[in-house]
Amino acid sequence: MTLKHTNKYIFIIMGLLILFVIYLQFTIDKSTENLKKEEIKKSEQYAESISRYIQTEADGPLLTYLEKNVEHREALNKILHTFLTKEFQYIFLLHKDKKGHYRFLLDGSLEDPVEYNTLFFPKSKRFNSVYSTQEPQIVKQSEGVEEVWLSLLYPIVAQGKTEALLVIDLSESHAEYLNSFNSPIMYMVRGIQLFLWISLLFLIYVSYNFYRLRKSMLVDPLTSTYTKIYLQELFEKKNVNQYNAILIDIDEFKLINTRHGHESGDTVLKMFAKEMMTLLPKESYIIRGRGSEFFVIVAKESANLEELAKTLFTHLTEKRYLIENETISLTLSMSAIVIPKETVSIQNIQRILDEKLFEIKSRGKNGLGIIGNVSGDEIKYKNLDYIKEALEEERLTCLYQPIFNTQTHAIIKYEALIRLIDKEDPGKLIPPFYFLDMIRGTTQYIKMSKLVLEKVFDALQKYPEIEISVNLDLDDLYNIDMVKLITKQLYRHRGIANRLSFEILESKEIKNYDEVALIFQQLKTYGSKIAMDDFGSGYSNYVYLIKLDIDILKIDGSLVEELSSSPERTKIMLHSINDLAKRFQYEVVAEFVSSKEIYEMVSELGIEYSQGYYLGEPKLLESYLDKKE
Amino acid sequence: MRKIVILLILLYGHLYALERESTLKMYHQIFSALVSKPMINVYTDDKEYRKVFATSKRMVLSGDPEKSDIILITNREALFQIMRERQWTVAKDEKPILFVTDYRLLKNSFDIVGAFYWRKGRSQLLFIKNRLNAYNITLPDEYKDFQVDTL
Repeated sequence: MTLKHTNKYIFIIMGLLILFVIYLQFTIDKSTENLKKEEIKKSEQYAESISRYIQTEADGPLLTYLEKNVEHREALNKILHTFLTKEFQYIFLLHKDKKGHYRFLLDGSLEDPVEYNTLFFPKSKRFNSVYSTQEPQIVKQSEGVEEVWLSLLYPIVAQGKTEALLVIDLSESHAEYLNSFNSPIMYMVRGIQLFLWISLLFLIYVSYNFYRLRKSMLVDPLTSTYTKIYLQELFEKKNVNQYNAILIDIDEFKLINTRHGHESGDTVLKMFAKEMMTLLPKESYIIRGRGSEFFVIVAKESANLEELAKTLFTHLTEKRYLIENETISLTLSMSAIVIPKETVSIQNIQRILDEKLFEIKSRGKNGLGIIGNVSGDEIKYKNLDYIKEALEEERLTCLYQPIFNTQTHAIIKYEALIRLIDKEDPGKLIPPFYFLDMIRGTTQYIKMSKLVLEKVFDALQKYPEIEISVNLDLDDLYNIDMVKLITKQLYRHRGIANRLSFEILESKEIKNYDEVALIFQQLKTYGSKIAMDDFGSGYSNYVYLIKLDIDILKIDGSLVEELSSSPERTKIMLHSINDLAKRFQYEVVAEFVSSKEIYEMVSELGIEYSQGYYLGEPKLLESYLDKKE
Repeated sequence: MRKIVILLILLYGHLYALERESTLKMYHQIFSALVSKPMINVYTDDKEYRKVFATSKRMVLSGDPEKSDIILITNREALFQIMRERQWTVAKDEKPILFVTDYRLLKNSFDIVGAFYWRKGRSQLLFIKNRLNAYNITLPDEYKDFQVDTL
């Protein structure tokens, strides 16, 4: 359960609690109202009884009876008085005279009794209404009335004519008593309600602050574009494959900061982001990366990626920015990708775009690269989490490509080539193209190397008659952990280490030959051999032959392949390399021997060893050795 | 604690002031209906009422019943006192109007034009038509319902 959901549940619970307390309050109010209704009902019953009694006593016209019989009036006043309890404040009988004024007929009060026929001005027009409609009514007293809560107006009707109006006033103190009947519970409920409302307000306040903090984390304050955190959250809710992506980086942005100051740089960034917003379709998101890098997500249905990327590139590079009375324009490096359906993670896409951007920058910047068709495998396997998981589960194996004696056609060695095993399909092997560059220099790379060495030594242990070579980047040997791992493994398997060769491939020019020579010496401690891989290409050059103690020279495959297209010139060069290597007493291996034609030429040149698909593909070791047996 | 006590005193004072103000407002309305003067001179010997009227801006509390426009009588003794003193030589319609706060007092003198009193928890306002006529007083229409011919 995320924090966001927790907040939602807290709000729901608080809301429910408040509703429950409101319901409680409503129930208590209703109960009090019922009590009051009971009192009113009781007064109605009294009114009915009193009226019936008076009419029975009068046994004829009421007015005449009361006017003539003072003693009876007194007696009836006393009877009315008996009904005066704490519930009833006043009980009296009124009659409307010919001029429409009300006058007292009877009064139940003993203290301050009102004389017969005294004038009375009611405060409510309902008196007249009851008199004419002959329907009893309850009147809630208002201004100008004291000590009275409600008045029950009960008409005394004889022969269809209203003779008098019986008024029973329910006392205000009794209403207060009824109100206070449930008051302890009510106070408690109101207390809880108050507490809950305060808590809710506090919660809203906290949530508001949280929202503000969150917003500051999700929106870049300078450019008003989103941050990377927003990107992660966006694709927790949405499918990556419904979008296309563009990566934009302003070339040499540092120069703007340096020449015009950071403030001007910020202004340019702001204007740049604003311009982007105007150019992008509605369902687009701009995420600011590091410095002047922007990652753009565009819904597939809203725009054609290629057209949009070109429009963006053109507009953004043509735009002029005015800073400090100087107009500047920007050059951009941009990469765009149509996100394949199989994509599940935006990180893979970012990495692919990064690679493409790097390529554009390496080619001199100010360019746009559109990645149209990326394979599902590339998306799936070029995923650091996927590789990590594979290494943790040791889903890794080695294929072995044989190296032949060109003349005898006998296998003299196998080159171990790493493959990861697909998670869902164990028969599918993942070549290093997908993962090697991603993990190079990381702990995962060390872990992978350890696993490879263990597998290779297991193979050497299992098959005592074979030799195996493993690939090693020169950069790896500058890594202390890697060197420790190799030397440890060599020491542990020192009895068979002499059947292991290291094929060294360098991606950078060697600057400190002494250091490399020392590492080579360490590798050779237990009889292992050093092969210089891809000789004749890149940084692998003749100086190595002079300065480094190597055993084997592997001629770069691209040179060997040239035998097909330019046989004569290539032969001259290969002959020269082979001759030189022999003088240094190095073993020479021709790589990429992919056809019979090449093989024959390699053989004719006298190159001792050959390797290539024509001779043998990378396979499981068992498949070669079992055939042999 | 002291703050609470002060607060309670202030609250009580405020409520008391409100009640006094509403009483004053009500009497001003009644007396304005009886006397058409911008500033009405009122005489009463009732201490409570004197305190109330003393704060009025539209009524002047008079010390001499003879020089007042209206005399407010709250009890029988005061009524009799006024009756004894009411030997002024001026015509009746120039004499101060008598107004009472008790229904029963209305029967004691024909000079009393009306009363404001409480009955059965309800405020009652009453004017006697023929007595008003004797003073040449015509009340506004809104007082029509409170005028009676006889008690």
